[in-house]
Amino acid sequence: MVEFRIGRGHDGPARLGEYLVGSTTYTTPLLTGAIGKQDNYLKYGTFGRSSIQDSMLLSMPNTLELDDKILLETNDSHALILPSMISFDSLESNAGTLMLQHQLETFRMIKSHIDPSCFVVRIPEDVEHSSFHQIITDFHNDGVRAAAFSFDGLLGSTDFNSMKLRSRLPTSWITIALGRIAPSTLPLLFYLGFDIFDTGHADEAAVKGLRLWYNGSEEVSSTKQNRFCPCSSCASIEGATDASLVDILRNHNLNTYTSMLSESIDAMNAGKLRWLIESMTHTSPSHASIVRLVDKYIYDYIEEFTPSAGAKVIPLIGPESYNAPAVRRYRQYLTSRYQPLPHKPIILLLPCSAKKPYSDSKSHKRFLTTVEDALGSTSGSLAQVILTSPLGVVPRELERIFPAANYDIPVTGDWDYEETSIAADTLVQHLTKFPSSSTVVAHVSGGYLGIVKAAEERIEQSIIYTTPEFSPTSRESLVALHETLTDLKSILELKTTPPSALEEIVSATADFQFGRGAGELLVPENAKLGGKPYRQIICRIGKEQVCSFIADVGLLSLTLHGAKRLIELERYWVRLDAPAVRGGSIFAVGVSEADPSIRPGDEVIVLNENGDLTAVGRSEMSGREMCELSRGRAVTVRHKLEGDN
Amino acid sequence: MDIHQQIHDVIKQSTLKARGKSITKRKSRDPTRPSAAWTAPSRIGTDAGTSLSIVLSTIGCTHARSDEGGCTMCSYLLDGTSRNPTSEELLHQFRTAMTKLQTSNAPLSVKIYTSGSFLDPEEIPVDARDAILQLIASDDRVKEMVLESRPEFVVDSTMVSIREILGDRNIEIGMGLESSNDFIRTLCINKNFDFESFKLAVKTAKQFDIGTRAYVLLKPPFLTEHDALIDSQQTMSDAIKVGVSTISFNPVNIQRNTLVEFLWKRGKYRSPWLWSVVEVLKHAKSQSTSNINIVCDPVAAGKPRGTHNCGNCDSEFVTAIRNFSLDQDVYNFESLTCDCKELWQHCLEHEDVSLVVHR
Repeated sequence: MVEFRIGRGHDGPARLGEYLVGSTTYTTPLLTGAIGKQDNYLKYGTFGRSSIQDSMLLSMPNTLELDDKILLETNDSHALILPSMISFDSLESNAGTLMLQHQLETFRMIKSHIDPSCFVVRIPEDVEHSSFHQIITDFHNDGVRAAAFSFDGLLGSTDFNSMKLRSRLPTSWITIALGRIAPSTLPLLFYLGFDIFDTGHADEAAVKGLRLWYNGSEEVSSTKQNRFCPCSSCASIEGATDASLVDILRNHNLNTYTSMLSESIDAMNAGKLRWLIESMTHTSPSHASIVRLVDKYIYDYIEEFTPSAGAKVIPLIGPESYNAPAVRRYRQYLTSRYQPLPHKPIILLLPCSAKKPYSDSKSHKRFLTTVEDALGSTSGSLAQVILTSPLGVVPRELERIFPAANYDIPVTGDWDYEETSIAADTLVQHLTKFPSSSTVVAHVSGGYLGIVKAAEERIEQSIIYTTPEFSPTSRESLVALHETLTDLKSILELKTTPPSALEEIVSATADFQFGRGAGELLVPENAKLGGKPYRQIICRIGKEQVCSFIADVGLLSLTLHGAKRLIELERYWVRLDAPAVRGGSIFAVGVSEADPSIRPGDEVIVLNENGDLTAVGRSEMSGREMCELSRGRAVTVRHKLEGDN
Repeated sequence: MDIHQQIHDVIKQSTLKARGKSITKRKSRDPTRPSAAWTAPSRIGTDAGTSLSIVLSTIGCTHARSDEGGCTMCSYLLDGTSRNPTSEELLHQFRTAMTKLQTSNAPLSVKIYTSGSFLDPEEIPVDARDAILQLIASDDRVKEMVLESRPEFVVDSTMVSIREILGDRNIEIGMGLESSNDFIRTLCINKNFDFESFKLAVKTAKQFDIGTRAYVLLKPPFLTEHDALIDSQQTMSDAIKVGVSTISFNPVNIQRNTLVEFLWKRGKYRSPWLWSVVEVLKHAKSQSTSNINIVCDPVAAGKPRGTHNCGNCDSEFVTAIRNFSLDQDVYNFESLTCDCKELWQHCLEHEDVSLVVHR
């Protein structure tokens, strides 16, 4: 029996788990190879050719006589890779499908003798979409839960195809990356949801006299000054004989894999795996290319598993951050879900600040004071929109939401073409949500001004520039802003409105979190709000609390009353196959259906088998995983219906 | 359709595609001259003599010309001509070649190759074949004759006539067994005959005291280096058991317009390591009785298209292999050593598990 148990935790498709092979329980992510001796290392070999121990990963050669030998020599204590023909899949377009069918046929011949959970499907280089799905489903229905992919290490189209095919597997499958895998690609593969990594290249490099580092390799020789390495294996490298040098290099190279893997796990636990991937794009041009291809073509897959909240601080440093899933998703949600409150005749554009949330920064405190001075009790007529990269724009009401409150960018005031155009596009989109009769006050200079200029032609509203030549925080600029707002106040005959900052925050957050319409349902006219934006806002309807805004995470927590109001939106629901929730957690095995748009970390509404509300909580996995996995915590319950139902 | 049949069809189609227009674009050669002919000092029985090798220019292998696509690694038929020479022309080719032996003394050996089968009546008409054999029979100096054919042409009637014409001369028929594994021979090589028909051909020839030479291939496509090594070792053992008189061991070299070349150009194939060649020869010798000759003259050895190691040790290996072919002594291999041995071993191990080609 072989089993893969997925544990808690997510950062993109990366996950932690346990892999039970025979009598051994390995923890994943896991290294595999022929030579490693460390703990938690899956030994692999070839059936009939390598010396066989229990709990190994064994490749079945295609030339094997299946009938007798394999049945005699294996038991259920190995993971067995089904036989394939090397290089066949590169012949023509249906060759990959044939290799999968060939494996399915082999599997069906022997599955009555060996537990189906032991088998590993070898995924060809490329397979047509629908037949891939069909054959994988056939395997899945027969109990197979593992796939092995090949990487030639060139990070070209072959390797990218393997990544694409990986994204199409059921989430419950364990995935093994075999082939030439450099330590520098390990974090990326982990990020993409691979669980086991081949260290064969450690041996190959050692034999060639190469010492592997996290971002490349070094030729080691006795005639040159070699790099310093603190690892125990390298302590004896100077003066080593040729034969012992290979062993030293093998150990060093394996250490590099081990260290890279532990760094990846740590980054994931800290919510910084994406940052690690981005920081390693400069390893090589081909590495950078493949990361771009991943972001472009498998975005839906990585986004699906990217949590809706993350680390306190997220560094977004270069162009590879512009389309990171958390960033791109923010822009998409903003476009599709955010709806400004009506009656906003003035839209004030402001530059971002290094300190988050913006309103805590010195510059924004000055802007806010100026606005307050100029507009006073009419300031409810003003919408504040902060320009930034790579998020594009952040409405003041959403400045505490993830990742707006968490991103950290190098601020020099210089913007490259791509980020200017991303911000300009987002701004244009954003302004279409306001009446064309409203007035845009652009209190920006430098690169921010560049964004507005790039968008100008596509903006319907009239624009007043208050500070094109000075820093927006300078005395002159603030005076100009003050004058402009004062003028507008009298020209537009702005009326006094009751303070509505709390309503705006809760309503905008609700729309952003649960989709359009949620704001109106949770914050109707008769809602009563209290609290502080920087700590907590409680929203009540009548005597009942419906939700609270937690400033720390910038998100709403629902009460059962709030959830009840949201049911009609038919979003973010999880349906159980039981009448009620028991205990503080809901496990995936108890979920019968779930909204596929649920991401890890989302606030979810739990329905019982009859479709009636039974609890609210926070998701621990994506909606698809709740349906596909048979283990693991799906939802942490916040409130549940008590009583006898 | 049976999945193996479908896989086979893809390989056939790909072989045809790799061959492309190369067959129709073959140059038309002078039909009266052989493709090649050369003489070399040679051991004939126990005496030193001279051998003449002749490659007749013919239309080439029927299998390679057909819709079956031919073998995945072979483009020998490109040495042939686009028009089938007449019997007179073939005879003329042979006479031309024989002039090279004018001044040589007995014993002589005559080896006739075509880019197909000498015994295929479509390629060499029976009257031409008989006339050529008659010419040999009329030369007392010739003590040995070697020819090549696919096993399906090794039948009683043909054997009777050859034996009759050539009298008591030593005769050996070379056949491309390639692999004793039907699955590999069919799928990976697209050879189109099975091991049983090879065995039958050996038995048939033996009845007329005609020897057989098995061509054994190392590393057809779609096998890992380790698969290939094991398959060649098994084939050697099987050929010895069947009772062939000579084994000629042929590591794949990458020939133009073949499926192997198609894969090689895409980084999906590496010609076999010389380490593997030596390993198989050592195994074969350990299995053989002294009366079986094991020879190996690897084409393009040490070059990227031929069997090769790291580049530093290749010439040493090739010399050892050639010497072994002459004296049949595995001692020739004992001193072979190089740093690349570990890389070869890594490749044997890693390719098997990862199915990623090591080049």
